[in-house]
Parts: sequence; structure tokens; C-alpha cells
Amino acid sequence: MDGYAGKMVYADLSAGKVTIKPTPKKLKKEYLGGRGFGIRLLTDMVDPKVDPLGDKNVVVYAAGPLTGTGIPLGSRYEVSTISPLTGTAMSANSGGVFGWKMKKAGFDAVVVTGKAKKPVYLMLDNGKAEIRDATHLWGKTTGQTTDAIMEELKDDKVRVSCIGPAGEKLVLFACIINEKTRAAGRGGVGAVMGSKNLKAIAARGDLPIKAADEELLNVVKDRVRKKIEDNGIEKALHNYGTAVLINIINENYVLPTRNFQSAHFPNAEKVSGETIAKTILKKPKGCYACIVQCGRVHEFDDESGEGPEYEPDWAFGPDCGIDDLKAVARANNICNEYGLDAISAPTTIACLMEMAEKGYVKHPIRFGDAKGMLKLVEQIAKREDIGDELAEGSFRFATKYGHPECSMSSKKQELPAYDPRGIQGYGLATATSVRGGDHVYGYMIYPEVLGAPEKLDPYVTKGKPQWVKTFQDLTASIDASGMCLFTSFALDAQDYADLLTATTGMKINPAELLKIGERIWNLQKLYNIKRGFGRKDDTLPARLLNEPLKEGAPTGQVWRRDEMLDEYYTLRGWDAEGTPTKGKLKGLGLA
Amino acid sequence: MNAGNEPVGENGALLNNTQDRITLTVKSFATFREIMDPQIRMDFLKGATIRTLLTELTGRYEGLGELMFAAPGTLRDFVNILKNGRNVHFLAGLDTPLDDGDVIALFPPVAGG
Repeated sequence: MDGYAGKMVYADLSAGKVTIKPTPKKLKKEYLGGRGFGIRLLTDMVDPKVDPLGDKNVVVYAAGPLTGTGIPLGSRYEVSTISPLTGTAMSANSGGVFGWKMKKAGFDAVVVTGKAKKPVYLMLDNGKAEIRDATHLWGKTTGQTTDAIMEELKDDKVRVSCIGPAGEKLVLFACIINEKTRAAGRGGVGAVMGSKNLKAIAARGDLPIKAADEELLNVVKDRVRKKIEDNGIEKALHNYGTAVLINIINENYVLPTRNFQSAHFPNAEKVSGETIAKTILKKPKGCYACIVQCGRVHEFDDESGEGPEYEPDWAFGPDCGIDDLKAVARANNICNEYGLDAISAPTTIACLMEMAEKGYVKHPIRFGDAKGMLKLVEQIAKREDIGDELAEGSFRFATKYGHPECSMSSKKQELPAYDPRGIQGYGLATATSVRGGDHVYGYMIYPEVLGAPEKLDPYVTKGKPQWVKTFQDLTASIDASGMCLFTSFALDAQDYADLLTATTGMKINPAELLKIGERIWNLQKLYNIKRGFGRKDDTLPARLLNEPLKEGAPTGQVWRRDEMLDEYYTLRGWDAEGTPTKGKLKGLGLA
Repeated sequence: MNAGNEPVGENGALLNNTQDRITLTVKSFATFREIMDPQIRMDFLKGATIRTLLTELTGRYEGLGELMFAAPGTLRDFVNILKNGRNVHFLAGLDTPLDDGDVIALFPPVAGG
């Protein structure tokens, strides 16, 4: 055994047929799993000219070799597809229990092609796969869909990954939700599911997941568990959730506020992780095998749900000028129920708020209007009224009204909760991200703001390109392994290499681990180039390059792209346009 | 506990000469709040540094020193101290001078994403 389930499902929805094949050895060796499997299969199968919402696009669900092995925080799966929002090769990561269940059902990956004539769902059941009718599920929320499938199967152990009405309506930033609250959030992966009439994938089973060397794995597991437990960061995540960042990012004067018009929100405390803990929090919650439990279960008034995580908390809160925590939590719950990306939905609303205030669009919404914000979230999910236009994302919306500068996006995907003007390396990481505006493809906030593994001056550009490249490559490997990215707060490349070696039996050292990540990164980049992306796209909104911050310590700072981009390309072995050289591709086995 | 009404110098002596005094706002976050007040005002003699402040705070709040320092004079990894939004690590570290009106933010190890 090697940590893998050993099989993959190919579901051709046009033909209504499923085929099961062994997981290729070469694919395991060169791409590990998760994001690696997804990007390799996707770029092999999808012509770069296809419409992301046409029937020629492909959706790949893939877990990693470490998913479901009992390793702490080994819970993740990835959904990869061509994004209808960005046009890039996309992967979105989710936790919870589904990834583990997919492997217990016997599968490392599910590859979905074609388009069903009517709504269907895919059932993975103890080594078998079947396409089932989902007509009765169409129109249901993610919670209703999950409950209905469990009821239909009379099985409360089945786990469901599905889309909500937003995915059905092809909202360009619709997400996929498993276990009602865990999201493969970004890039509109849910819209691609909707375009295929694929409502859900359900998984159940009790097939074994065995490591190559269980004895060695137990030794490494104990070591990593201790490192995670001893790390003070994990305690803060457990007690306060990811929204613990609201205050620290605000105190650094890099918390984007009112659509990035400033970077400090005076009422941040009202939506902080500390306030969540003492008001709406019912209990912490974790994914499969999690010893951190950063998830938040909340209850207030008639409302119950999970979150808000840091990103939606910021986006519905400070970025919309809103300090009403209950409204933020309610908006986050609507996103989970309807299947909306809880970063792109609120930041697109923030874009509308700025445009409405400036008179670029006639609409009554203003910054700070929580009631209006809640209405807009539902309108987007249902594509009703102005929601139909906002469902195309902030870039297309702002451009339609002649003000693309109001969209705080990169490669048409909305930026997350950090102002790059005061965090130079993070700016480079998100500008060069191969999936568009993003923070988790190379989390430079860690060294530049939080101070680990060492403290890097966030205002300095020198040395940052090398850090960004290393973080991006390591993250790609972690995403391929099936581990939660939060383990990188405590673990290093040697730890991941040891976990993979003990689990898969392949001899993987830190250099090989980083090379796998670099291979995934370059493959994703190459595909994007074929879809027309180049140097011009590796940038951020003009506001961030030209309008200096006006408050606090980073006053006067802008994001300084030109001091970093050429060096970054050189370190990557790319030419001045950002195209990988033949030598680089040969070295990675991609030539 | 002195929450700012009785100005103290580095050695704890009361300060009478207001010209020699500086007043700070000190904020704490996350797990530090489980030990100390979320926000306090404190007075010090001119010339005080971050080290002076931390000596005073760790004397006041039991358990804070253990959470903050790995060894005497050495902050734990991932503890961050901001002076008006700037990490003191990039100023003069624990020897960073304090000025009247400063806002000092104290963060234990935190992460998210």
C-alpha cells in the first residue's frame, strides 16, 4: 500500500458512462495528487481554446496521498478546472471530511467530462461509481441537497460535495460546498459543475487506506503532532479562529477598507476573532484528523452556521465598511447555502458600493449598509436585478460601466484581505499567482506580517522574489499532498518529505518536494500562456501601484512591482515575458 | 493594578514632573487578553523603551512573561510588537524608544488566512 486509494473514476456525463482505472504510477511520482493531479489531467485534456462553461471543460476532484491517513490535518482535496472567472487553470482547496470519504470509497480522483442532459449527481460507493438522477435536487441549497442525498440513501455517513443555486445559475464565482459549510471556494469551480448539470458528488465506503511503512509513519506522525501542538500559533487559531487576523492586520494598517480606498478600519474590533469568541461562537470545529480546530460554529438569534473565517469576515465587514458582526455572519451563511465564493461575492459588492458612491452606477447601496449588502448577496446568487450583472465578478461589472479601476482584482479574480502596498512580497505573490488574485498560493503574510519562519520587513522588496518562489513551490506540493496549508505554520519541507516517504514508499527529500511543486507551478503557468496570459497580467490594480497609503506606519507606500518582477522571472527560469525557458521545462520533465 | 492614573517610572517610582512624562496606549490581542487588559494607558519617564514597557507589564500580569519571552531579553518566536503599526523588530527591537502618544500593540503568535 502507498497511501493512495489506487483507482480513479472517469465520468463522461454526455454519454452517461463511468469508467474506473488504476491511478497511474507516473502521475503519483511526478504530481503526488490533489492540485498536482488536477492540473496535470486538466491541462492534458482541455484544449486551451475551450469555453470554461462549455461541455469541453473538465472538472477534476483529487485527494492527496496524505489525505485520510490519520496524519494530523491531512484532510484536503482539490477541485481543478478552467476558471470561468479568470480563464486560468484553477484549483480550489477544501477540507472537512469529504476528501477522506472519497478515498474510503476507493478513489484518489474523479474526472468529470461532458455535460449531462438533465441534472445528475455522481455516487462513489465502496469501489463503484454511478451517475444518478438529480432532477429533484436542482434548485436546492447546499444544505438541502446534502440532507436530501443522505435521506435518499438512508445513510448519515455518506458525505456530499455539491453546488447551490449560484452554481446552477452560472455565477462566475460560484463555489462547491461539502458538509454544508466547507468550501472549494475560488475561481467559479461551482459554475463549471453547474454548466455540466452536475449537482453533487457523494461518497461513502470503508475501504482501507494504508501507508507503505506504517511503523515509520507513526514515528513521523508523533513528531509533527508535537510540533503542531507546541506551536503557539495553533492555540490562537483554536481559541479565536482565522478571524484572529482582523486586529493584527488592522493594527499593521494593511486591512483593506471600503474597497481598498484605505487600509485601516476604526471599528475592526467589532468584527474581530476576539469578539466572535465572546459573542456568537458556540464551539470550535475541525476537519478530519484536525488537532487545531480553527472552524467556528456560531449561534445567535434565529441564526446558526459556521464561520466567519478571516477572509469573508473582512470582505463583508471592513471592505464593505460594515461593523455589524451578525450581518457579516449571516452573509457568510447565505454564501454557504447558495454556494458563493465568500471572498469574490462581498468584494464585488464593495466595488459596487464605491461606484455607487462616486455616481458611476445608479444604485442606493452605500458603504456601511448591512441590510443592503445582505439583499445584494441573495440577488447575486439568484442573478436577480443588479445581481445578474454582479454575478459576472467585479472586473466585468466595473468595466461594463467604464470604471475598471474600481475592481480590486488580478486576472479578474478579486483580491483577498491584505493591502499589498504595505506588504511588498505578498503583492508579488498575488500578482504572479497562476490562478489570479489569491493569498494561499504563496502565503507571504506569514514572514512579512506574522514573523515566521523569520521576520521579513514588509516594506522592503529586496530578497522577496526568492521567498515568493519558494513559498509558491512549497505550497503547490502541500496542496498536492493532501495536507492543510496551516501545517506550514509549524512544519518544514523535511517534515512533509518524511510524511510522504513513509506514506507512499517513494523516496522524497525536501529538494524533490520543492521540484514537484515547481513542476505544478510551471505546468499551470504554461497552460495560462496558451490561453493568452503574459507579463501584462502579472500585476495588480493601478490604485495599488499609484495611490500611496495615507494612514499609520505604511503611509506613503505603494506596491513596487518593477523592483521585483524581472528578478522573480529570472529566478523562475523564465524569459522577460514570463515564459518558461526550454531549459527550465526540460529540468522539470515538462519539455 | 496601575491602569494609568498613577504614573510610574522604570523603577516604579511615582512621577511628579509632567514634563518628564510620556503617555502610551497599550493594546493586547488574542491569547494575551486572557492575561492582561485589552487596552490600557500608561505613563513613563522620557527615555523609556519597549524593554521598559515589557518589564512593567510582565511585573503586573502574572504569566505574561512566560508567554512573551523564550529567555530573559529574548522574545518568543512569532511574538510581534508594533509601535504605531510598525513592527519594532525593524526599528531598534526591545531598545526602540517610546514617544508620547505612541500606540503599542502586543500580539502573541497568531495566524490565519
